[in-house]
Amino acid sequence: MGMLDGKAALVTAAGGGIAGAIARRFGAEGAAVCCVDVNEETVAKTVADIEAAGGKAIARVCNVADEAAVKACVDETATIFGKLDVVVNAAAASEPLHTVANMPLEVWQEVLDVNLTGMFLVSKHAIPHMQAAGGGQFINISSTFGHIAWPQRPAYMATKGAVRQLTRSIALDFAPDNIRANSILPGAIETNRLLARTPTMEQVRAKMVPLHPIGRLGQPEDIANAAAFLASDQSSFMTGSDVFVDGGFTAV
Amino acid sequence: MGRLEGKVAFITASGGAIAGATARLFGAEGAAVCCVDIVEENVNQAATDINDAGGKAIAITCDVTDDDAVRTAVDKTVAEFGKVDVCFNAAAYSEKRHRLADMPLDMWKSVIDVNLTGMFIVARHVIPQMQAAGGGSIINVSSIYGVVGAKERPAYCAAKGGVRMLSKSIAVDYAVDNIRANSIMPGPIETPRLLARNPSIEAVIERHGPRLHQKRLGKPEEIAQTALFLASDDASFTSGADMIVDGAYTAF
Repeated sequence: MGMLDGKAALVTAAGGGIAGAIARRFGAEGAAVCCVDVNEETVAKTVADIEAAGGKAIARVCNVADEAAVKACVDETATIFGKLDVVVNAAAASEPLHTVANMPLEVWQEVLDVNLTGMFLVSKHAIPHMQAAGGGQFINISSTFGHIAWPQRPAYMATKGAVRQLTRSIALDFAPDNIRANSILPGAIETNRLLARTPTMEQVRAKMVPLHPIGRLGQPEDIANAAAFLASDQSSFMTGSDVFVDGGFTAV
Repeated sequence: MGRLEGKVAFITASGGAIAGATARLFGAEGAAVCCVDIVEENVNQAATDINDAGGKAIAITCDVTDDDAVRTAVDKTVAEFGKVDVCFNAAAYSEKRHRLADMPLDMWKSVIDVNLTGMFIVARHVIPQMQAAGGGSIINVSSIYGVVGAKERPAYCAAKGGVRMLSKSIAVDYAVDNIRANSIMPGPIETPRLLARNPSIEAVIERHGPRLHQKRLGKPEEIAQTALFLASDDASFTSGADMIVDGAYTAF
């Protein structure tokens, strides 16, 4: 008996490290999972993993900033699974290092479109299905950089701060529909994304581990554990919360 | 001797109540003020009031989402007053009440454009001037709804949460240039804008109930006084801070 038996979930960025781990965990816990990503190859791999482990999943290639594509993807998921009651909003882009004054407007706009408007669009089109299902859960991936600052990432941080408040807005407005919404704020999680700015994981560890009192980088499974809890009925009184999963990074 | 003697301030939305009160106070404290607003009549009035009171001000009509227009406005301020070393970013508006699933994408985007991208655009053009001036203070108006949720205002909440982190991003990246950046989070303030959404001040006080611990709304001048502190050298070690000015609204 899984924690998420009978639930139907949609997970964006499911080809990536963190959301991929969430999708696999949801599948293992009994949820039917629609894995969404812009990358066809990586999302197919996540689905294959879920199926190989005996779970149920489908793959959809979709850009979350494209409203028509999002609506089609969400509606199709509900049709195939018979409902949609869990959404994990994890799709996010990050700018190349810039400060405000030297960042081109287009770079800013692109990060806002994916990280913020994409989350708005997926949520907007998922809500009617959750209402029809009698309730639902949103798990929105913010970041410790939605809480504290870091050099040269203004657009990423602005969107991650905005995600926390968008989540509270959903929590307030849809509480009467039995829809809950919570943010997860991960610390440094060991994924390929960390290698975008630092050549090797050893160098990432040397830089980031000392900032995490727990003494290691987080693993994607650490975030998946929190997401499974928030998607399950164990968290039935939690809504509008910021769930820090950061090894103590922001506690000091 | 005013507390802002010798400083030059660029103030957006200064045709409005909060930024208007700030512009008048800054003018009275000796700053030369560039009053910016999208409504020509209101911004002219703010500049006239400052000049009539013996201060120094110019008015510029400008849409903060227009990158070229903002650059021109900042250049004009420098041409007139020689530099810019204080920036009060207050341009914002709120959507008509909608729950997320009922909000048209265009409405979401227009709120994000003004409230969040507008602040990015103003910041990117004032920062080089502050660097040239040897330092500066950026004051971004967030909201208590950048900290807690508000009903039926998803875009406003998201944008104000974004503003909070954008300020911290600037604070970290430009500390080396002697530029400080802080957010102010006003609670409910007695302004014409508030009355446009509500039948009366009494109705607003009634609606907020026990959270208004002082049994009154805040006044625009109370936000202006906080801005004065942040603009002045009294705040020389205050950067990246959230200044909550809400009569304990969010403390309870």
